[in-house]
Amino acid sequence: MTMLADTLDAPVVAAASAIVEPTVRIRLGLGDRPLVTAGVHVRAGDPIAERLRDGGMAETRLGGIQEPEPGMLLEAGAPLGGKRRRVASPGRGRTIYVTPGGTLRSVVGRHQETVGAPAAGVVLDVQATAIVLRTDGIGYAGTLMTGDPTVGRLMVGVARPDDELPVAAIDVTGAGAIVVAGARIDVEALTRARAMGVRGVVVGGVVGRDLRSFAASEARQRAAIHASPAFALLVLDGFGKRPIPPGVWAALIEAEGREVGIAADPAMILLDAATAIAPIGRDRVRAAAGELTGRTGRLIEIVGRRRLPAGVMAVVGRVAFEAGGGQPPEERLVALADLERLAT
Amino acid sequence: MTDRRQAVFTVDHGTASTAAALVATVGGRSRLLGAAAQPAGAPVEPLLAGLADDVVTHVPELAGRLADWQALARIESATRRPPAMLIVAPTENAATSLAWAARTSGWRVTGSHAAEASTVVAITEGLLDPDLETVMIGAADPPSVVERGPLADLLNMVVAALGRRRDWPEVVLAGGAVEAADRLEGADLIFAPQAAYRADVTRDPLRALLERLAAVHTDARDATALPDGRRALATATASLAGLLDRRVELVDVGASASTRVLADPQGIVGHVVRVDAALAPPEAIGDDAVADRVLAWSTIRADPASLRDRVRNLVVAPWRDAAGDGARLRLAAARAALSRLDDGWRLPERPDGAPPDYSADLLVVSGGAFAVAPAPAISLALVDTLRRPGAMALAFDHARVLAPIGALADEADRRQLLVDLLEDALTPLGSAIVATGVHAGRHRGSLKLTTTDGASDQVELVPGSVQLLDLPPGLVAAAELTTRDGAWLGVRSHHLAVEVAGGLGGLLVDTREIPLRLPDRPERRRDLLDAWQRPLWSGGDG
Repeated sequence: MTMLADTLDAPVVAAASAIVEPTVRIRLGLGDRPLVTAGVHVRAGDPIAERLRDGGMAETRLGGIQEPEPGMLLEAGAPLGGKRRRVASPGRGRTIYVTPGGTLRSVVGRHQETVGAPAAGVVLDVQATAIVLRTDGIGYAGTLMTGDPTVGRLMVGVARPDDELPVAAIDVTGAGAIVVAGARIDVEALTRARAMGVRGVVVGGVVGRDLRSFAASEARQRAAIHASPAFALLVLDGFGKRPIPPGVWAALIEAEGREVGIAADPAMILLDAATAIAPIGRDRVRAAAGELTGRTGRLIEIVGRRRLPAGVMAVVGRVAFEAGGGQPPEERLVALADLERLAT
Repeated sequence: MTDRRQAVFTVDHGTASTAAALVATVGGRSRLLGAAAQPAGAPVEPLLAGLADDVVTHVPELAGRLADWQALARIESATRRPPAMLIVAPTENAATSLAWAARTSGWRVTGSHAAEASTVVAITEGLLDPDLETVMIGAADPPSVVERGPLADLLNMVVAALGRRRDWPEVVLAGGAVEAADRLEGADLIFAPQAAYRADVTRDPLRALLERLAAVHTDARDATALPDGRRALATATASLAGLLDRRVELVDVGASASTRVLADPQGIVGHVVRVDAALAPPEAIGDDAVADRVLAWSTIRADPASLRDRVRNLVVAPWRDAAGDGARLRLAAARAALSRLDDGWRLPERPDGAPPDYSADLLVVSGGAFAVAPAPAISLALVDTLRRPGAMALAFDHARVLAPIGALADEADRRQLLVDLLEDALTPLGSAIVATGVHAGRHRGSLKLTTTDGASDQVELVPGSVQLLDLPPGLVAAAELTTRDGAWLGVRSHHLAVEVAGGLGGLLVDTREIPLRLPDRPERRRDLLDAWQRPLWSGGDG
């Protein structure tokens, strides 16, 4: 056994913790228009930008008229200039640049949709391709997010963080909500959630194949003529079936019924500042890998280097796991690298 | 130099894990007394405290010197995430050459585009990306007839986009693109030579400049001001080559980039840092093909979708799940990284015009990816991927002390510490003999091994296979290969004799082809890899 008497000092990584007033970016495309300016306070869901759907590049021969500035907003049909030969804007969008041959290249599109703020906060900066927002509440970082930033009331769809949300459990009651879907969600459930008007899904893990199928489905959705509300999938912990980490789970339970948001950059769930979480003992850990993934307990001893399967040597600790996942309470030796400390 | 009467910690801060070692003077010379590693996110002090406690447990007479472990000197190095660069060029060929130079000199290439109508939106979005630090624009010098039109168009695009930014990124103008300097007055301009198409890894001036620039960027981003671990590894390799008066090669597989260095007693012969050869490339999250590059080396039996997700989890948290199949997956990822490091490893011709010399007397492997694998399995991973005929000794920088040693400013200090720590810090994996041209038939050839203690052993060579012979650490042996048709070991002969050193993995005799040919069908490929690897994994859960 090592001389590290105090397991509180054990070299164990900290689990994701709440970030107070996180700063997030809402990415903009070349043809998008910000609707806010720096310094403005916005509420969750307030329109902050107009997104150009199905944008494409258009070329316009300027024929010697004065070159428009790069980044200039364009309105469909509006004159760009010219006395003898009137040159009109190729559509609603924004100029990119003028080629040496005098051709204006712009990004234009026929449809627009509104981008809402994923949380209340102050606009710190409006850049050419991003709006920077310092949110008022707290945030928990995820592993990845796909879709668009969104906002909705939080609905916890599972009883436990390691449950999976069945497809049949998704119905119209989830319309306008961000649904907490447990340890994993498949592409059928995601597609159904989208069809039922769910605004977002928060999940512990996702199968990569389902993620890509969903991304392809989203791309098709965007190509449709009618705009659909923003939808986001936030993955909190990784790939495959991965229970929602206990700290985030407790915060999500606390925030149920309240308005929450999902940001893309960085991938994050944004909660109300009033979401209070009870303090967690510093010896509390979670197994983040291996057969015990998701189970929580107390790290009671650093045992030292031990031989693990495949002959691997690693420093292990003795953990008193609580009952969970159909397993009784038990003490197990776990590699410290596979543990996460719940308190930070 | 640190006070040699005292003990010192060496600390290598990696992007995925932190490794520390305790070095103290015992019996008149520095000895490596203990080493440990942990995930990068965990605090370092408890790691050092545990290390000091462990050492005191085993060597109680050091209790007095280590009582105040917090006050011990530290020799540290840090590996940072490589800086990002956007590459734009008038033609696809120019973009490819620039991207190769950037990718092999420590840059993360966020995009590489030729100026075409179809790429205008992507280029402009890239130039307006708030995270953009550096953009490289390059063309032939002077621009070719084919490049002139697209280059003028590209420059209009670049000037228009950058003019919309509040903060201009650094702009590298390579080759004929320097003509655009007067149009980019607001930018921090760097003039560079033109890119050579797939140049060698030493004489390309563009690569040399980009290496220096990457170093400036990584240093500027690090508030701790610790020396860069990848450069320190190159320095330590050169010091080691000088000390041993041998050609020494080092490969380090890291979570965010991998490094390969070849040095001879005169200095560094070749050096690359490749982001696309990282242990777990982030692209694997969105791209099945990248994950499949790792799985092409895997022997784990499971459905491909689950295995790809395991590769993705390796990207998310490289330190987790290191036992059992996790160890095998890590070594598969390390093989994929090593084979990327080998791809494009081109050395210059020798001064007399002879073909480049890729040989090394000692091959050192470093990086957390290898910490969980048994010695013979590491040896096989090296000869599977860095294939060349000949014999070489293999060693493992198990305590990751080479980077901190390379971070020492004074060559004499580096050499002194290397002299003292050579036996402790470099675990001898053994030796490998890679011989091609051994044919099946009645007279396949044999290998006779005679150790310095007089023991002798003879085995029949099996063409197209890997054979492992017992040769414990500390022993040196003469290996004599005898074949009727001749074998190729850098030179072709019927009778070849080489000196080999022992190690934990013994002597690996590899008579497979160069390059290694593996079946295309995944099941057959996995079975063949498993047949080679299975005997080398100890600890036995299959």
